[in-house]
Amino acid sequence: MNSTRPHILFSGLAVIAMVLAGCSDPASRGDPDQKVYRHSMDGSATSVDPVQASTVYANFMVNNAYDTLYRYKYLERPYALTPNLARDMPEISDDGLTYTFRLRPGVHYVDDEAFPDGQGREVVASDLVFSLMRHFDPEQLSQGAWLWQGRIEGLNDWGEEAAEARDAGEQPDYDAEIPGLQALDDHTLQIRLTRPYPQLTYTLAQGFSALVPPEAVDHHGRRGLQRHAVGSGPFQLVSFTPQRAVFVANEDFRDDPVDLEYEGYDEEVHGEFGLEAIDGRSPPFIDRLEIDQIEETSARWNSFTAGNEIQYSTVPAEQAESVLTSTDPVEVDARYADDYFWRASPEAGFVYMNFNLDDPAIGYHEDPDQDRANHALRCAIRKAFDWESRNDRFYQGLGDVYPGVIPPMVDGFNPDFPDDSIRRDMDAARALLEEHGWTEDNLPEIQYGAVSSVTDRQMFEQFRGWLEELGFPGDKVRMRTFANFGDLNRAIRQGQIMSFNIGWGLDFPDAENTLQLYYGPNEAPGSNSANMKNDEFDRLYDESAVMQPGPDRNEIYNRMNEIIVDECANISALTRTRIEMWHQDLIMQPDREILGGFFVRFVDLIDDGQGGEPE
Amino acid sequence: MSINQPANPGVDGRLGPDEPVKYKGPGPATGLDSPLRKAVYKLRRDRWGMLGLAIVIVYALIALGVVLGLWGQDWSSTAGPRWAGISAEHWLGTNLIGQDIFNRALYSTRTAFEIGLVVAILSTLLGALLGALSGFYAGTWIDEIILWKKGVLDAIPFYLFVAAVAFALEGNAWAMHIAMIATFWTITARLVRGEVIKLKNLEFVEAATAIGASRMVTLFRHILPNTLHILLVQGTIVFVSAIKSEVILSFLGLGVQEGTSWGLMISESTQEVLSGQFMNFIVASTMMFILVMAFNLFSDSLQDALDPKKVH
Repeated sequence: MNSTRPHILFSGLAVIAMVLAGCSDPASRGDPDQKVYRHSMDGSATSVDPVQASTVYANFMVNNAYDTLYRYKYLERPYALTPNLARDMPEISDDGLTYTFRLRPGVHYVDDEAFPDGQGREVVASDLVFSLMRHFDPEQLSQGAWLWQGRIEGLNDWGEEAAEARDAGEQPDYDAEIPGLQALDDHTLQIRLTRPYPQLTYTLAQGFSALVPPEAVDHHGRRGLQRHAVGSGPFQLVSFTPQRAVFVANEDFRDDPVDLEYEGYDEEVHGEFGLEAIDGRSPPFIDRLEIDQIEETSARWNSFTAGNEIQYSTVPAEQAESVLTSTDPVEVDARYADDYFWRASPEAGFVYMNFNLDDPAIGYHEDPDQDRANHALRCAIRKAFDWESRNDRFYQGLGDVYPGVIPPMVDGFNPDFPDDSIRRDMDAARALLEEHGWTEDNLPEIQYGAVSSVTDRQMFEQFRGWLEELGFPGDKVRMRTFANFGDLNRAIRQGQIMSFNIGWGLDFPDAENTLQLYYGPNEAPGSNSANMKNDEFDRLYDESAVMQPGPDRNEIYNRMNEIIVDECANISALTRTRIEMWHQDLIMQPDREILGGFFVRFVDLIDDGQGGEPE
Repeated sequence: MSINQPANPGVDGRLGPDEPVKYKGPGPATGLDSPLRKAVYKLRRDRWGMLGLAIVIVYALIALGVVLGLWGQDWSSTAGPRWAGISAEHWLGTNLIGQDIFNRALYSTRTAFEIGLVVAILSTLLGALLGALSGFYAGTWIDEIILWKKGVLDAIPFYLFVAAVAFALEGNAWAMHIAMIATFWTITARLVRGEVIKLKNLEFVEAATAIGASRMVTLFRHILPNTLHILLVQGTIVFVSAIKSEVILSFLGLGVQEGTSWGLMISESTQEVLSGQFMNFIVASTMMFILVMAFNLFSDSLQDALDPKKVH
């Protein structure tokens, strides 16, 4: 009897080993012939469904799994649009109201059980019609409908009908004809606008506008598409969780050779990255894409420097002192520069602080005297704000501070804009309070909304320190914490927070995208979280919204920027500089800004016979 | 109507001539009777225990000084330079935003004592009350309900429970206190319940019942005072647990909402140590370690002194 025990034990171990082997993903065990790129992000995408691609992280996923009509050129800066799924740039009627788009023929979705025979069918123009209609179907919980809200003839009306149908427990009619959104044939789409919308083409490069086949929505449902993708992009999603996403190359991705010069290649800027190797070849070049979403900065950095784990990371703020030898200009210590490629570039956006002008304690007030006093209070707080210290303590002094909300990277930025609003002047701030009768006793309690994190708390404590210098009792400046950014954002959208620090990433390189943050009709729950309402501003916004780029429009933008500063609606702004690093066996130039995840299709690995051997 | 005076010398005999008999005297182990004097004597002879008590008193004085505004008042000032070293101006240096680490450590002592005292007192009282009721009415529906409640609370992981309470109270500054009180009472209650079950069958309780003492008087005047040694020891243990939990919860972002604490300082240090800045971590950890160690020494000593089996 005893003699059988070793056999049982051995058999048991063998079974366990086989089960474990069967459970693992063969590709993840490191096929030496495979090229694997292991990317990392500092936040989590919660969904891969294009209708919910509202964050840079979700966009990254969507841009790689799905196709949009347009994308940005890989290397050209300022950012420039180029056709992607579209054959060419749109034809625009003389009145700027009708856009005609032509799609490339012969592009197919990846194979998926959603299709009748499991074989991905051809992408057609009606798929884009369907994909845009989804944003106006309340059941789909779109976060991107605002891009086309009231812009396309008949689309809003269809949205109302869809809502009524859903209320009645019926399916909306996705076959209904919408006057302003029509597929003329399988490869031609026409959009008719209610008024000129020069930014329309930009919106068709956003993840929100990615083409989703109706079969996928029918088969997988909205919930299913949060974790599963059926697109025609360069990669096919294999698995997705908020912590990790794995893609493999879409073997049937269209033949589209890289023209490096057209993409904006500049030998002086990009020469060291080895990008010439991809010229004339058709992407994608890697076999497998793994994206780890690591929010904890030290964990991400340790993984990056381990050598055999993630291959890309931004330099965490707390590492800047040891990694950089100079901040102006940015220079990286030889210990890192010898081992990694690096790039320092400004973000496409900015950080700023908003006041909620709907809060009568600090915002608009029906009593004109109190209204003026509140205005003075906001301006005094702004004068007490020390941008230099904020930049030094939290952004290593690498940030670019400027007045207003038009960042330097967009057309419309005025380098000569008065900088009073970003200069600290405590004497003037105190005088302003005194002039309007503010004393230690009657100052309101300032509530500051933030996420419960170390950095947010320290930013709050720095802000409170400045207000204490201004004359606020410490217990009148309070922090209201939220478990995560989603909860904070929800409270902001509901107008519950008096003041808050926040960031904005440009959806497209146009100042309209930042000025709309203060447009009256966009008030909370819209993007105007300051709830600013200024008739002149709103009139100028309406006027400029239909104008093509040019000096006339820039002049209006400048005036709108002045109004925001004069209202003391916010304390702005600082554009951060990101320092990105990647392993030297990669052939790429990463860019997480407006370009989103589009760069990944151009990533290649130096073929040294090692393959992409994972940890 | 005439009544006989009970034999117990503690009865004050101030009842009116027509009032029913109410036995109001203390139980046999209250006051400065022999066991308590022996316990104090034994406690004073325990050098480690006295060292622990001395350290706790020093910390208590620091906390009191902060409350009275004698020191630690500039804990929030951001006027200093970033990560300044040790100097005459900043005895233990500054943090990222120029706050004085010494002042923050002093203020955090107040935070620790405030949380420790509030949680220790309230959770011990709650535990004593529910434990006494549960033990006195053992086997009845009252006992069943209290035991069930204890079981439910003990079954929920503490930090998940705190997170849930914090979420439910939407960042309320007292969320952490409420969560700790709501969970820490269960151990006290279990110990008190056992002791009450034992005590309620002793002769002095039967005597009190025999002369007409009501149930509540019997329980709260005669039985509960005899669990004092358990409550004292349990109070010190909860005090230490509350301080440690506060540090962990603040580190996780679920703790202190107003002011600062050692937990918040350690939390800050997670982003500083990679830059070679250790003072926040060293100062907060050391302050907490010494206090917890001192409290544990004192608590052990107190437990030994009050243990009836060890009082000779």
